[in-house]
Amino acid sequence: MTERPPLSHRLSRSLSGAALPLYAALALLFLQVPVVIVVAASVTTTSYLTVPPVGFSLEWYWDVLGDESYIEAILFSLMLACTATVLSLVLGTAAAYALIRRKVPGSEAISAALMAPLVFPAVVVAVALLQYYTLVGVRGTFAAIAVAHVLITLPYVMRSVLASLAGSDPALEEAARTLGADAWTAFAKTTLPLIRPGLVAGAIFSFIVSFDNVPVSIFLVSVRQTTLPVKIFTAVEHGIDPGIAAISTMLIIATGLSLIIAERWVGFHRFA
Amino acid sequence: MSEAGTAHRAGRWLDRSGLGLLSPALLVLLAVFVAPLLFLVPTSLHPYVPGQGIGTSWTLSNYTDILGDPFYLRIIGRTLMLGLIVVAATLVIGYPLAYFLARTRSRLRPWLIILVVFPLLLNLVVRSFGWIVLLANRGLINDWLIRMELIETPIKLLFNFTGLLIGLSHIFLPFMVLVLIGTIQNIPRDLENAALTLGASRREVFAKVTLPLSLPGILSGGILVFVLTISALVTPRLLGGPTYQVMSTLIFDEFLKILNWPRGAAMAFILTAIVLVLVWASSRLTAYLATRR
Repeated sequence: MTERPPLSHRLSRSLSGAALPLYAALALLFLQVPVVIVVAASVTTTSYLTVPPVGFSLEWYWDVLGDESYIEAILFSLMLACTATVLSLVLGTAAAYALIRRKVPGSEAISAALMAPLVFPAVVVAVALLQYYTLVGVRGTFAAIAVAHVLITLPYVMRSVLASLAGSDPALEEAARTLGADAWTAFAKTTLPLIRPGLVAGAIFSFIVSFDNVPVSIFLVSVRQTTLPVKIFTAVEHGIDPGIAAISTMLIIATGLSLIIAERWVGFHRFA
Repeated sequence: MSEAGTAHRAGRWLDRSGLGLLSPALLVLLAVFVAPLLFLVPTSLHPYVPGQGIGTSWTLSNYTDILGDPFYLRIIGRTLMLGLIVVAATLVIGYPLAYFLARTRSRLRPWLIILVVFPLLLNLVVRSFGWIVLLANRGLINDWLIRMELIETPIKLLFNFTGLLIGLSHIFLPFMVLVLIGTIQNIPRDLENAALTLGASRREVFAKVTLPLSLPGILSGGILVFVLTISALVTPRLLGGPTYQVMSTLIFDEFLKILNWPRGAAMAFILTAIVLVLVWASSRLTAYLATRR
């Protein structure tokens, strides 16, 4: 017959077994706190922010959606993010392809240089661009902001496409060439389908990075045309109300949806 | 030799070397990254003439003024201190979470990792706004504490070190956790089990096996979070307000409010220098740790 260990011993052991999951749960909870607060605060019927909300209403959502300046900011942000993402995808894929499949002189230095905008503090890149755009005379134009966004999204596309390309076999494309396909067809029919997950992941990441950006955008937008996050930033600086919680909740839902799409399409591991 | 032939060969060289495919990306880099930064260097070396703008003479005074003025030194010191404490906080909160996520066999694991990544992808302004709602003088935390009669007057949680510490720790915690998960996953479970079998206590296994082996992850996660913290603009601005400054908010004000661009540029280069030295040191350290294994 085996003797059971004393109760205090068993208790302390099961407690220490539960301690780690409990701690992890608390840490995960801490990560969700601001999200929960913002969503809860957005449905209040009061004119001030309070949690738990008083009553339930969507009036703040209608309020925000009826505000033309918010709609304009959303459209501007969407256009900016789409433009930057498409350009980044084209430029980033071409560059990544060259770095993996060609013998590029100084390739390590080049790939480090292309990642550099990620290392430099965003505020430094932004003030440098502010001065430069002022000198050149393009400050506040859509094209100028879009190119700046290409710069900051390019590293994300490159990183994700480089990873996919490294795992694809160059022999397939060579075979296609041997069989008479031209360079573009060979690439489009063999390599492109293989690196599609990397392209999708890069595109989603790039879109989110561009859409969410504040530190670079805030220096470059004009008073008339501003992005959604910059508009929310300015609104928060002036004073908080449930309307900001409502527009923030819409952003939270949009981010959640894009995360689910990313998970469905390319598997979640690429983000982690 | 015909001109067409030369052009053809040049084209082939561009293709073979990959420089043809790289040139659009490199052009963007040159036009909106390298050139703007180079143009900012002379700005930091010119004096600021109030009412007129940037002077034409050359001077180092923008740098010496910042590095000799207690006001600026205090802000630089505060920024670096904030970086250190945020690293410590994310490590203390993040390590056990990362360990749990790296070792758990739960079917829920992918969903738990989503809970780490989701806040990371969420807009910075939205996350900071959530903390303002919680931490403000008439915010929820003070409200709850007063209602439970634990305090009588609101405690100041915003526009000071506490507010920035809470907000920045929250925002950079996912980075630390993701780096640590990667490292801890690479430590073979067998090593820990072997130590346990040989009679080590759980605490000893952690102190002598797990912790030393996760040191590279702690280092790279720590440097990443430090660099991100001292570069952060949005959260310090929203949670620190216009009065409680760090280096990046100071640069923001010099460029957009005070319009003293030379001083702002000097501050920008001081911040950049700190960041680059750290990133360089970290890559050297990682390389060193890799060869020592």
